[in-house]
Amino acid sequence: MKSETLFLKNTQTFAEAMVRCGVRYHFAYPITPATEVMKHTAVILPEYGGRMVQMESELAVANALAGCACTGTLGATSTSGPGMALMQESISFMAAGELPCIMLDAMRVGPGDGDIVGAQSNYFQATRGGGHGDYRVIVLAPASGQEIVDLMPDAVKLAYTYRTPVLFVIDGVTCTMTESAIFPEAHDYAAGFDTSSWAYTGTADHEKRFLLTGSYTHSQGEEMNERLRAKFERIKEKEQRWESIQTEDAEVVLVGFGIHGRMGQDLVANMRAQGKKVGLIRPITLWPFPDKAFEQLPESLKSVLVVEMNHGQMLDDVRLAVNGRVPVHFLGKTGGDMPLCTLADMTAQINTLL
Amino acid sequence: MQELAKIYGDTLLLDKKFNYCPGCGHGVVTRLVAEAIEELGIRQRTVSVVGIGCGGFSHHYMDIDAIEAMHGRSPAVAIGYKTASPDKIVYTYQGDGDCSAIGLAELLHGANRGLPVTCFMINNNLFGMTGGQMSPATLENQVTATTPKGRDVHVHGYPLRVPEMMADMVGAKYVAREAVCDAKSIRKAAKSVRNALQCQIQGLGFSFVEFIVPCPTGLKLSVPDAYKWSREKMVEYFKPQVFKNEVGQNNEN
Repeated sequence: MKSETLFLKNTQTFAEAMVRCGVRYHFAYPITPATEVMKHTAVILPEYGGRMVQMESELAVANALAGCACTGTLGATSTSGPGMALMQESISFMAAGELPCIMLDAMRVGPGDGDIVGAQSNYFQATRGGGHGDYRVIVLAPASGQEIVDLMPDAVKLAYTYRTPVLFVIDGVTCTMTESAIFPEAHDYAAGFDTSSWAYTGTADHEKRFLLTGSYTHSQGEEMNERLRAKFERIKEKEQRWESIQTEDAEVVLVGFGIHGRMGQDLVANMRAQGKKVGLIRPITLWPFPDKAFEQLPESLKSVLVVEMNHGQMLDDVRLAVNGRVPVHFLGKTGGDMPLCTLADMTAQINTLL
Repeated sequence: MQELAKIYGDTLLLDKKFNYCPGCGHGVVTRLVAEAIEELGIRQRTVSVVGIGCGGFSHHYMDIDAIEAMHGRSPAVAIGYKTASPDKIVYTYQGDGDCSAIGLAELLHGANRGLPVTCFMINNNLFGMTGGQMSPATLENQVTATTPKGRDVHVHGYPLRVPEMMADMVGAKYVAREAVCDAKSIRKAAKSVRNALQCQIQGLGFSFVEFIVPCPTGLKLSVPDAYKWSREKMVEYFKPQVFKNEVGQNNEN
């Protein structure tokens, strides 16, 4: 597939991007607003020699994805909040079993069934995990269709380099937005990774191996955890990503991801045009959280404002990163006909802090 | 061991220490599965997806790759595996708790989907590994660790017959219930294991075999009494039979 510009809903962009980067099997179960992804892969995957497989539940989806990953083949899934809740068991399993895959949580309002309108209600679930034990998965938060496309090759590389699920979390507002994205020439990034040292493909070319996430001795459980911890530390050191805009002399820094991070880009431009010293930190990896972005806060900084489409989740990580150097304020909402803070809301709040 | 390998082939790992309790029916079924894999010449392309419970040990006695899945999810894992690697032979090895309690949805949808994977359900009619609690297959009035006065069907429902639910599913091509309570039933069970795997090799569709096995430890009976109990009580309710056989060859049942 040649390079081309497409005008798509961002859920479709996600489907196109992952297939063009090497995903061949997509396991899914219908749920708003993630359904658009599986509708799209059902059409395009056969053209790539792959298949969308609709399962009977998100439990089955996530476990089929694990089975696919055991062969060394790149698989993916896409879902929204309640479906993500059902997948937690298998995400913990895949993290423990070091199985690479691509996942999307098209975030909607929670808790419970919640609502189908967009939200950022699963920051905790994505970065802390609802599954069992001490595990982490890499969490990416693109803020536009183009950024979905741009991050996808890295997502596949991260999944195989670290042998881990890579989870995209995209607020439902960004997911349901239709916009242009430039797709580079299709390339199977998964094919570049040799999985023969670990994939469970039968004993024709290797000694018996088996995937064990449990333990037969207490020391085995400890060893697995130590091995995983060392890997998580490497990821934390090497893979933090964020966008900083004009933080060098800022008096107030806005912190937002996804749609609020994107709005922050406009907000900084607007307020700087009025001579107001506002900067932006937009986390792109939510785990590892970009602590490094907060290491060099300027002397001029008076406070930080976190804006989210929830009641304060990333806020905890920002407070840990700021570590009491300046006050950290919060603006957020979830649900409703306008399920996000407007630029006017954010501007008004910042004006009170300057 | 070298000499034994000449007789038994490469699949069974004969020097592996046994984890099953004395008299456990798993030992018989594990050996039947290993012998069928050996006989069909599929060892190097076979992958076992085992459940949580005593059946999880089964792959350790075989020279094949294996995946130890989360409790009840083996059929879904097997389907994902088979989707990505259709040339491999994938079978699940699960207990009655794994299959018919926590994993019933994955099992039945797996059967209905009809992808050529094989599920073996080893029914010892209780949760063995956790110490003999009631499972869906526990008989009416049977005393277990969690039914101290016997299974009250008005509270806990009736013993669940699993292959009967699959018999009408178009995607399921070989469906059987066997017992391993005596020599005769073991010989029949061996045939069903071969047929189920043959069904997959031929790409016909889903195959399933339930095995009625004794669990002397869980039943708190001596080994002979546990076999007698399974042969009489279990087999009376869970009748061994081939429900469906669309396998072209080895159609001996």
